[in-house]
Amino acid sequence: MTCEELQPEYGAYALGSAENPERIEIAEHLARHCPNCTPGVRRAMEAVAAMSGAVKPVDPPKRLRRRVVSMVSPNPKRSWAMIIAPWAVAGVLAIALISVGLPGWLHPNDSARLGQALSILNDPTTKDVSFGEPAARGRVFVSPQKGVVFIAAHLPALGAHRIFEMWVIPTQGNPIPAGLFRGEEDASAIYVRPGPVTNAAAIAVTVEPEGGSPQPTTTPFIVTKL
Amino acid sequence: MTIPGLFLALELSGEHDEELARRLQRKEPDAMADLYDRFGRLAYSVILSIVRDSAIAEDLVQETFLRVWNRVQGFEAGRGALGPWLLAIARNRAIDYVRSVSSRMDRNSYEFDAREHPSLFVDMEREVFNTDHARLIKSAIAKLNANQQKVIELAYYEGLSQTEMAERMGQPLGTVKTWVRTALRSLRDELGEVATA
Repeated sequence: MTCEELQPEYGAYALGSAENPERIEIAEHLARHCPNCTPGVRRAMEAVAAMSGAVKPVDPPKRLRRRVVSMVSPNPKRSWAMIIAPWAVAGVLAIALISVGLPGWLHPNDSARLGQALSILNDPTTKDVSFGEPAARGRVFVSPQKGVVFIAAHLPALGAHRIFEMWVIPTQGNPIPAGLFRGEEDASAIYVRPGPVTNAAAIAVTVEPEGGSPQPTTTPFIVTKL
Repeated sequence: MTIPGLFLALELSGEHDEELARRLQRKEPDAMADLYDRFGRLAYSVILSIVRDSAIAEDLVQETFLRVWNRVQGFEAGRGALGPWLLAIARNRAIDYVRSVSSRMDRNSYEFDAREHPSLFVDMEREVFNTDHARLIKSAIAKLNANQQKVIELAYYEGLSQTEMAERMGQPLGTVKTWVRTALRSLRDELGEVATA
């Protein structure tokens, strides 16, 4: 679309209410630093920003400053529950974390992964299954449309050049590779596998050679029926 | 405040933000505290106005500042508007939340990232949040007709798309688009008049 065609949508785009095809088209024009659309959208966003300044001011609780600052302090005392709380709006993940008792903390760069996780957790069709002794303890959330969130503690130690591989076990046919992950130093892991999961009967995890395997080469230490 | 005094304050504030952005880029932990002191209340207010839950708002403020911290390397400290950028991220986090609650999360996820790109905040007015601008924008919103105010409200506070607004209001999509367009243009014009006065 031309800049002239997109110009009437700058305001809607800045507000976040534009729709396709205009939304994608404007994003593409911005990505290539379009000399017409970039300043046009910028002016519209300035108006939206000004609206933020007109919102009724409310004082946040004092503890919030401590929470924000501690995220980047040299000796962070953050926990999974603390960082992930924004995304635990469905309540589910927070509950899962508490019940699993993961002591690890989330790397700041993982916010995108958290967004994917939340999308899975918020799907009303998501199945939520716990697993436990004697293997690792944890919980798995499976959305047929959006993917898998896998949370575990007490994972086995990985030998040299080994990695965990998750599998989707279909109702019929061979296991389907569903991604590779490593545990944290405390033997916990949270792994998100975005994308549709069709006809899944179970989720399994094996230890595989680094790089993964097309089919399991070891006995799964976790098999969670859905 | 006198007019020269106002300009001096704005200039100093701009310099403050520029230096603050550079300190964030150097990953100085104290910079995060200063960033929060400067924008924390505003970010919390914006988010709370959208999610209407103080606990959720706290979490989303935390996420907002973390996102700024992680992405500030792409920010042009000398030309970028730190406040508007941070507030755009804050509002997007809040809208993301309300959309996720109503299972509308995936619709604009790509757009949100694009609208948060620091390049969009280059050469933008930095002081759009000061008292004068706030008074001005309130006055400008009050001048909009009822339908224009409604679409702005639905878009800003509920994150509705234009189609969703049309369904909510029982109006044709084209009509809603016109209201959104003319409303934003009016607000922009009002702000522009002051900026160039």
